[in-house]
Amino acid sequence: MPADMFALTLPFDPSALTLEMLMAGLAMLVLILGIIVPKGARHGLGWVSLLGILGIMAVAVSLWGEKRELLNGMYLLDNYALFWKITFMTAAALVILGCMRFVDNMGNQAEYYSLTLFATLGMMVMASAGDFITFYLGLELMTLSFVILVCFRKTDAKSVEAGIKYLLLAGMSSAVLLYGLTLIYGLTGSITILEIGRIIAMQPLSPALVLAVVLVIAGLGFKVSAVPFHMWSPDVYEGAPTPVTAYLAVGSKAASFAIILRLFVSGLPGIWENWAMVMAILAAVTIIVGNLVAIPQTNIKRMLAYSSIAQAGYILVGLVTATEAGIKGVMFYCFLYVFATMAAFVVATYYYNVSGSDELRDYAGLAQRSPLLAAVMLVALLSMAGIPPLAGFAGKFYLFSSIVGDFLWLVFVGLIMSMVSVYYYLRVALVMYRDDPVDATPISVSSPVAVTLVFATIATLVIGICPGPLSEVVNGAAHTFFLH
Amino acid sequence: MSDWAGVFIFFVVALIFGAGGIATSFLIQPRRDTPLKLEPYECGMPTQGSTWIQFKTGYFLYALLFVIFDVETIYLYAWAVKFQSLGLFAFIEMIIFVFILIVGLWYAWKEGALEWQ
Amino acid sequence: MYVEFALQHAWLVPLLPALAFVAIVFLTRPWQMLSAILAVGSMASSCVIATLAAYGIFTNHEYVEKPLVYATRWFSLGMPAMPDLQINVGVQLDPVSAMMMVMVSFISTFIFLYSIGYMNGEDGFSVFFSYLSLFGASMLLLVISSNLLQMFVAWELVGLCSYLLIGFYTHKISAREAAKKAFVTCRIADFGLLLGILSLQIVFGTLNLTELGEKIAHFEDYTTFGILTMIAVLVFMGPIAKSGQFPLHVWLPDAMEGPTPVSALIHAATMVVAGVYLVGRTMFLFHEVPSAMELVAVTGAFTALFAATIAITQREIKKILAYSTVSQLGYMMLALGVGSLTASMFHMWTHAFFKALMFLGAGSVLVALHHKADVWEMGGLVKKMPITAWTFVIGGLAIAGIPPFAGFWSKDEILVATLAEGHYVLFAMAAFTAFLTAFYMWRMIFLAFFGKENPANHPKESPWTMTVPLLVLAVGAIGAGWLGTPWHNVWAEWIYFGSPHHAAANYGAMMLSVVLAVAGIGLAYTMYLKDTEKVKAKAMAEKYSTAYRVLVNKYYIDELYLWFNHALVDGAAKIFYLFDIYIVDGIVNGIGASAKVTGEGLRVFQTGRLQNYVLIFFIGVLIVAVLMAFVGPSNAVPVMGGVK
Repeated sequence: MPADMFALTLPFDPSALTLEMLMAGLAMLVLILGIIVPKGARHGLGWVSLLGILGIMAVAVSLWGEKRELLNGMYLLDNYALFWKITFMTAAALVILGCMRFVDNMGNQAEYYSLTLFATLGMMVMASAGDFITFYLGLELMTLSFVILVCFRKTDAKSVEAGIKYLLLAGMSSAVLLYGLTLIYGLTGSITILEIGRIIAMQPLSPALVLAVVLVIAGLGFKVSAVPFHMWSPDVYEGAPTPVTAYLAVGSKAASFAIILRLFVSGLPGIWENWAMVMAILAAVTIIVGNLVAIPQTNIKRMLAYSSIAQAGYILVGLVTATEAGIKGVMFYCFLYVFATMAAFVVATYYYNVSGSDELRDYAGLAQRSPLLAAVMLVALLSMAGIPPLAGFAGKFYLFSSIVGDFLWLVFVGLIMSMVSVYYYLRVALVMYRDDPVDATPISVSSPVAVTLVFATIATLVIGICPGPLSEVVNGAAHTFFLH
Repeated sequence: MSDWAGVFIFFVVALIFGAGGIATSFLIQPRRDTPLKLEPYECGMPTQGSTWIQFKTGYFLYALLFVIFDVETIYLYAWAVKFQSLGLFAFIEMIIFVFILIVGLWYAWKEGALEWQ
Repeated sequence: MYVEFALQHAWLVPLLPALAFVAIVFLTRPWQMLSAILAVGSMASSCVIATLAAYGIFTNHEYVEKPLVYATRWFSLGMPAMPDLQINVGVQLDPVSAMMMVMVSFISTFIFLYSIGYMNGEDGFSVFFSYLSLFGASMLLLVISSNLLQMFVAWELVGLCSYLLIGFYTHKISAREAAKKAFVTCRIADFGLLLGILSLQIVFGTLNLTELGEKIAHFEDYTTFGILTMIAVLVFMGPIAKSGQFPLHVWLPDAMEGPTPVSALIHAATMVVAGVYLVGRTMFLFHEVPSAMELVAVTGAFTALFAATIAITQREIKKILAYSTVSQLGYMMLALGVGSLTASMFHMWTHAFFKALMFLGAGSVLVALHHKADVWEMGGLVKKMPITAWTFVIGGLAIAGIPPFAGFWSKDEILVATLAEGHYVLFAMAAFTAFLTAFYMWRMIFLAFFGKENPANHPKESPWTMTVPLLVLAVGAIGAGWLGTPWHNVWAEWIYFGSPHHAAANYGAMMLSVVLAVAGIGLAYTMYLKDTEKVKAKAMAEKYSTAYRVLVNKYYIDELYLWFNHALVDGAAKIFYLFDIYIVDGIVNGIGASAKVTGEGLRVFQTGRLQNYVLIFFIGVLIVAVLMAFVGPSNAVPVMGGVK
């Protein structure tokens, strides 16, 4: 018997996984608490989750500046990953804080919160993923959690339908993605993204690689709902419970962008010339279709769904050049997008709780009933439209300034479609501010929601007026991206 | 460029091949849509009674739990074979692994998944 | 210690009123008095800080050469085209900005106070005060800006506030029209200003005032002058509109549609002097371009004379004051044009006091007479409204240029500076304007406050919130000029461009300006007070009826613009209209409709059927594959090379 049978020999330093372990622990804790705590007291679980997330965020902030690679680049911990993790957790915290009452009305709080946390865990794994296995693991954890969340309102046919659709389509897209990843593995003999980057740079381009990249683009394009892989999102967004929609629109998308950047900028820069134009065209088409189809929508969640498709198009723009400026643009935009989208969806959630409707016409006179809700909605929408001095403007500015040189046409597409988008965003404002409400009773906003909304709005304003500090943080994070 | 021409031709031929068949049948088919014809499968036995029957989800739950613990056993087996050389770290890892599964089982139990109703 | 604090925290000066604006809009709107107190209080606090800071500046002569600047990064870009574009926001304190800061906050405080009385009982009382606060904040921000872009933001904010305030009586069509006119006129010119600022950034790579000053001073070293002239002219476009210079002065008289405190604020302390201030701040630019200086000087002198002639025939009390403002701004521009920052700023300083005084006086009269504005229908108000009348008289003496009142010293400084630079024609124009100024001002005073009472009026003196500001400003109108007497010119020691210079006492010019002023007053006296039936005035009007009509109609400039617009809109624009309907509208509607149709069309794909979605997904895969194959660099791909 060897002497060191019980010696603690670690193949790697598990402390690099602190955040993920904490998040997994938190999710299980919430689940266990849900089993132990009697039904009546479960509304406290939201607070547990929220405080837990805030604590983990604090740990994440304290890790800022760390730079580790685990298991030959399988897992990467750097400022880039940390920035994304903080972004996801911010979104999760906002959605939990803003939608507690909605969740209490749905019941099953423990499952809801713990799934939200598991989804967040999946995103965090994706942000750190350095190889295909880790990446796929995170992706599936996130997706499956979302599938359950989407059909969380079991008695609502729409919600269940959306869940089934999401399950089937996500499964299909995963298959396509996996096929692409497999091809890449076959061609390079490696699943580590950085390694693949090195190998591909030396190989001549083969058609199989082109096919692989096409399949990967399709699989991930599905996750960020880039046209033409976006078909699922309006249906799913509309059917899912609104807080889930919000988190799906923000978190799932941001996490996918985190991995897209890794994959394409670290893994496939060798054939950048081949995919850059495709990305540019995808971005343009996504921007155009998203904005155009948003125009005739009458349901606010559906409108927001299409608008979020368009937003994904804007974010894709940052990927086109595969430069530090572009990466910075993507990260900056995703971060501020969290606030605008969360604000809009939390207002929608809250208003749904009051009025039971998501139809645009039922927003008539919201400004008279609750100036706060209307103002927050307005700021959020204007930020998405990119009106200065709101955050969206600064974000779009960074994104588009990264491509000014070679892809000027794309800048024009973006600008023109931004103008188009103002039309449908302002239509909401018009309904809220001009029309008279059918029922003029004032809406009182409960304090957690008010805090969420005010915080998100202030963040939108501050980032817009003073983008400097955040932009420097993002610069630093984007810089570490290239240091591996 | 000439290289690409090959691919292009390939695509065109493939498209014609695929689309052509559909188009031809679309053009020459006699069209008499009856409700029966629009049903998903025009073959096999006529169904007895409604096809909209519900399976008991209990089966599914049992199957699910079985698969989970089956997989667990596979992991445990591999670990047990190499137990001596893997050391304490693997032991702790295994405990965590089993703990996670136990939480799952606990949850399923509590939610009534193990009761046949 | 307080002084040090104020110097380091001068950014509080614009911030406090801005906070008041936010607080009023979001919190205190339902409580009128609280809102008003908040506005007045914040402005007064700003005034205190500004005064302390100014004290710090004016006790340390270093700041004249080396302004106190502190700035923080606003945003920066890593764009390939402009690798190190950095925009700062910050505060620049030197004697000029310190003086402006004090002036703006001081005058604003009293105008705010006055507004409490003036706006009493009006709808939107709180909103009015929120606008006022924002206006004050914007102007103060403009004044302390260390950077041209920051200044431009404040500049536009000022424009926005003027729009809001001029059009405050939204129920009046004329007010709405005036607000629009002010905004549009200024926007047209601001476009030039923006182009100028952008050019400065492109050519010099910075917009910080101090750095620009240094770089421009050494500019001749390495390239030609043409660009600089262009920039100077572009930059000057902004002030032409903002400071009501010919030919874009048209908005200013119409701006009288706003409540009177707004007129006072716009005309005395804030908006219109912004233009003069901007030119003064960018003096380093104009100084390098003699032709631009010439342009400024001629524009100024012409505007001064032009507006004065119009003022002679106007009947509405506020219109007369408006044209007198245009005229006085012309003086300031003239002073800048002849290179005397000292004289220009000095006149701005004194003008702020007496013009605010007169506007507030006019407001007091209007309230007493229930907004009857025609001076011919007033008369003898001095008996019922002694404070208003006598303070107004002080203002009249100041603007006419009677020593020792404030206006005399500053106007004298401008005349002397013009003469010293050898611009004899401009000097003659300015001197004649001085005569006209005395005449039309005193015509108004005699008609409104003296002579026979109009039995239809039942005036009574205004409440203390209105009279106290009048009295305080009257003191300023008397004494503000003593800072810059030719014998002991403190002003010129602190505020100058280049090297301190002030003309030695030129007794000839001084005599001339006094004589002209007295002559103007005398003429007004004989025509409008002594001659109770105004026979002469009527005879004059009939004898020179053509000239009279031209003047009454303000040289038909508005009509000219209207005609021009009509010619453009109805005539030439008919073509555009047709073009518009059939082509532009076609395109726009086409885009709109096609956007809708496409939207609707694309919606069709959203069937809700999974099979269709999957189909579209794979069609998408196919399309992307085709794109990948054909869009990339084709020579890099060995297609038939097979899989490796």
